[in-house]
Amino acid sequence: MAVASSVGRRPSYWPRVRKALVVYGGLTFYAVIAGLPIYWMIITTFKPDRDLYNLQNFPLWFNQNGVTMAHLELLFNRTGFNTWLKNTVWVSLAVVAITLLVSVPAGYALARLRFRGAETLTIGIFMTYLVPTTLLFLPLVKVISFLGVFDKLQSLILAYPTFTIPFCTWLMAGFFRTIPHEIEEAAMVDGCSRIGAIPRVILPLSLAGMLTVAIFAFTLSMQDFVYALTFVSSSDQKVVNIGVVTELIRGDVFFWGSLMAGALIAGIPVAILYSFFLDYFVRGVIGGAVK
Amino acid sequence: VLGPIMVAPAVLYILLLVGYPFFLAIYLSVSSADVSTSGLGRFVGVDNFLALFESSVFLTALRNTLLFAAVSAVFKGFMGTTLAFLLAERMPGTRLFRFVILLPWTVPIALSSITWKWMFDTQYSIINWLLKAVGVLEPFEVLNWLGDPTLAMISIIAVNVWRGFPFGAVILLAGLSSIPHEILDAAKVDGAGPLTRFRKVIVPMIAPVLFVGSLYDLVFTLTDMTVVYLLTLGGPANSTHVLSSYAFLVGVQSGALGRGAAIAILLFPILLVVVFFVLRGLRRREM
Repeated sequence: MAVASSVGRRPSYWPRVRKALVVYGGLTFYAVIAGLPIYWMIITTFKPDRDLYNLQNFPLWFNQNGVTMAHLELLFNRTGFNTWLKNTVWVSLAVVAITLLVSVPAGYALARLRFRGAETLTIGIFMTYLVPTTLLFLPLVKVISFLGVFDKLQSLILAYPTFTIPFCTWLMAGFFRTIPHEIEEAAMVDGCSRIGAIPRVILPLSLAGMLTVAIFAFTLSMQDFVYALTFVSSSDQKVVNIGVVTELIRGDVFFWGSLMAGALIAGIPVAILYSFFLDYFVRGVIGGAVK
Repeated sequence: VLGPIMVAPAVLYILLLVGYPFFLAIYLSVSSADVSTSGLGRFVGVDNFLALFESSVFLTALRNTLLFAAVSAVFKGFMGTTLAFLLAERMPGTRLFRFVILLPWTVPIALSSITWKWMFDTQYSIINWLLKAVGVLEPFEVLNWLGDPTLAMISIIAVNVWRGFPFGAVILLAGLSSIPHEILDAAKVDGAGPLTRFRKVIVPMIAPVLFVGSLYDLVFTLTDMTVVYLLTLGGPANSTHVLSSYAFLVGVQSGALGRGAAIAILLFPILLVVVFFVLRGLRRREM
């Protein structure tokens, strides 16, 4: 009977195969669109100029002259790339420290300590995240010159927390809300004051949250372009994004090999770090929208 | 007492470096401030704004900003939605696909924009090569992507869409996975097709997520200058400026802080109108 009923029909696994084809086909299509520029970055980084600028060559793979390290060599030895990397790490770490110091207590207070206006304040802080950098960079030029840090790394250390603090406070408040009240109360019953309970009980429990916040403050600082472009112009004070896109272009000459090498080295680690924590980022953005 | 003390540093930081500059921006926009003078400039009323509306570059930038946001929202919406449903299937290997597909969002925008500039190169454009390879372009035809006003605008929109669609998909996916299976099954039993299920069940249920996600993306699109700055610098002949890149040109490169701030301030009403329409659109859906 089973045999008879399948005669004249497609085999029963067909719908599943068709679905797999559609899904993998679609994903491949999007992966090619998304990945092509990154692939092109990689190929350009390692391809000798002779092959890069030869229109007869097949561009999507290496050609007769093979693979070269010349672009990387130029980047590391004959530009300020090392300095820019160091500056970037230094700025980002400082921003992470400021963000943690400010956002963790604020997040805790907004989530846990009921005081007047806490709710309004939570929304207000999140809204500041939506105030665009485009609106702020011009007046910040004034503020930063006033503070005497124009064209210095410190200007970025001051400016980046304007977007990391709102977002990270919001994230931390979310984390603290997931810790059951009872745990804290138990600690307080056992003779801890609230101030005593925070370092002993709450902070260890929210380490994951703090790590996430740290990663975000780091990656968000590295995503910026506008502030770094506006506030800093001396080569030795540049961060990597700005250094790569401004100093590897001399007049009309673009050093494409080294440009792509710089983009690759600075971009890929951020991308990997970011994508590990992206789910938290999404949860932060949609925040209260999902219950 | 503890609460306010713990929030105080955050509030102070925001007041000093977001709140104060915000009002300073408003003041600058009605002043003659420039980079070289140390003070805040003279009060000039609405002069800056009047001058802007007589400037053809400004009007082009305004039109471009709106066009740019609208067109790229449509593409991002379509691509993000289809991609979200593909990822929601959770087939084996989805994680790897997800990593690759998220690269546009996770790689810093400045670095990917410069890569696109190389891809749109006049002589060695990989885009032109690919178009020739699939037969869209004749062998000796060359598209000057960043040198032609229309093509340059298309290029800018393409890069913005490329950057934003993975994020749209991820936001939508987060919304999708918050819908209980029973509800979708119930709709299916009641005879609702995939499209009806999407419009009548899924969209209303994830409306808040859609709202926040699109708001976030629109703010980014309307205010980002990185793509324009790195791809075309507003050229050719100032035809591809958006408000933010023009604000940078006027405010920083020419040093007219007041005029630049006026341009940036004008983004604000646009943002408010957009927020209003997004909100209203979703309210209507919900009913």
